[in-house]
Amino acid sequence: MKLRVLTSTMRVQMKQSFARPMYRFCLLANPILNTIVLYGMYRASGESNFMTYVILGAGLMGLWGCICFSSAGDINRERYSGTLALIFATPAGFQSIVLGKILGNTVLSLLTLVISLTAGVLLFGITPVLEDPVYFLIALAALILSFVVISSVIACILTLSRKTELYMNCIEIPLELLCGFVFPVSLLPSGVRAVSYALSPTYAVELLRMSILGVTDRTLFFEKLAILMGLTVLYALFSILLYRRIDCRVRIAATLEVA
Amino acid sequence: MDNIMINVEDLRREYRRNSIFKRKRRVVKAVDGISFKVMKGEIFGLLGQNGAGKTTTIKMLTTLLAPTSGKCEVLGLKTFGEEKKIRPHINFIFGGEMGVYRRLSARDNLRYFSNLYLIPKKEQNEKIDRILKLVDLYDRADDPAETYSKGMIQRLQIARGLINDPDIIFMDEPTVGLDPVGARMLRDIIRELKKAGKTVLLTTHNLSEVEELCDRIVIINKGRVVAQGTPDEIRGSGETLEDAYVELVKGVNS
Ligand SMILES: Nc1ncnc2c1ncn2[C@@H]1O[C@H](COP(=O)(O)OP(=O)(O)OP(=O)(O)O)[C@@H](O)[C@H]1O
Ligand SMILES: [Mg+2]
Repeated sequence: MKLRVLTSTMRVQMKQSFARPMYRFCLLANPILNTIVLYGMYRASGESNFMTYVILGAGLMGLWGCICFSSAGDINRERYSGTLALIFATPAGFQSIVLGKILGNTVLSLLTLVISLTAGVLLFGITPVLEDPVYFLIALAALILSFVVISSVIACILTLSRKTELYMNCIEIPLELLCGFVFPVSLLPSGVRAVSYALSPTYAVELLRMSILGVTDRTLFFEKLAILMGLTVLYALFSILLYRRIDCRVRIAATLEVA
Repeated sequence: MDNIMINVEDLRREYRRNSIFKRKRRVVKAVDGISFKVMKGEIFGLLGQNGAGKTTTIKMLTTLLAPTSGKCEVLGLKTFGEEKKIRPHINFIFGGEMGVYRRLSARDNLRYFSNLYLIPKKEQNEKIDRILKLVDLYDRADDPAETYSKGMIQRLQIARGLINDPDIIFMDEPTVGLDPVGARMLRDIIRELKKAGKTVLLTTHNLSEVEELCDRIVIINKGRVVAQGTPDEIRGSGETLEDAYVELVKGVNS
């Protein structure tokens, strides 16, 4: 029964997101621009591994941007269009609806990876390398899972607050830097690195890089995967707890609507 | 007494606003100790001036807002705490142009909400067509809602409010923005709902509508009940309901 809530929400979400010019810009133009900027940076620094840092980095930035901005923005859009209260009061369950929205956005946003690859190949003649496609798919699935869980925590917190725009701008870039989307985490100061390794996408990005370059140490790959899954489960439990509380909190704080 | 559909006793709701400039917290007593009951099959009117607390009361009854204190029961269940059991059996319509997905068509809006109300797939098409005809949107059902007029969006709201065949339907100024034909259509729908044994609680500023439709009304002012009874009882010996209403509201204001 609840599966229909998920699938119909995904469908509605994709339709609505794609109808927004700002979303289309984030989805289609951002990965191309990111690719150009990163290519310029890495060429100047003498790095030749364009596949992992330029193409993957640009794609991941685009992917995260789309998921983060729409998970946060959608709650606010629903609030301002008066539909947040309506969906909240249906028997479908708010958590299922939010999950459906995030999944819809995620599926659509995966396009950024394809776009940054195409841009890298066509604009700069980067040769695509992918040594271990199977490991890559495993890593990608783990990354998506971790993004989905993080977004659902963010969306939940933002249901409680009306200062959504501020928060989502504070979240987007720091996560990209902390999790090593465009440069290795090892370049960060050690104190900051501790934060990086508490964030699940950090591991997912490392796994993706390993699979692109070829997995030489399988144990290491699966060790990192295990940590990633552990963190994701932890986040998921936290998110379930949050959603249990939010049903009460939003009705006490009266933030479902703009009055 | 299982005929009581809505039971409100000494219900209160405060809004707190933290002001950055003043150190004191501002507290608005939106609903300040109201009580009333609504029976099965009644059309019940909630009347009052702007800011009287009508919408706040409806939000508490529709499980969207937590009461600060007092009893707030729908179908014998607490709207804060037992909301999961209430939600499938009620629905609500808020007047105005909010509350629809503007980029989706009327049909897609209704299909989405029928999924959220967990209505079986095989019943959906027939049901959606019937409701679209009922609110006279059938011909434009596949155009995106952003191309609709204000009244058409309002009709779509009404349609959405009927999608789960609710036992109690809450309407907050449902005729706002409707043309005379549309307003009559809504009154007809409300009477049909009553015939089908449904309960309707509505707010409106149109007193002739109240006289025409409502079995009983309660008038609130500044969060408190100032009168309740049938429209006839409230009119009393006066000329019109409007005269009586103005007297009641004035009495409290001065
Ligand atoms: N979210 C909120 N935060 C703070 N104050 C609020 C909020 N919602 C309503 N109020 C205040 O509560 C009081 C009652 O508002 P309410 O919307 O219930 O009135 P109403 O009777 O529906 O009025 P109207 O006829 O204009 O729709 C008003 O003083 C209003 O300013
Ligand atoms: Mg109101």
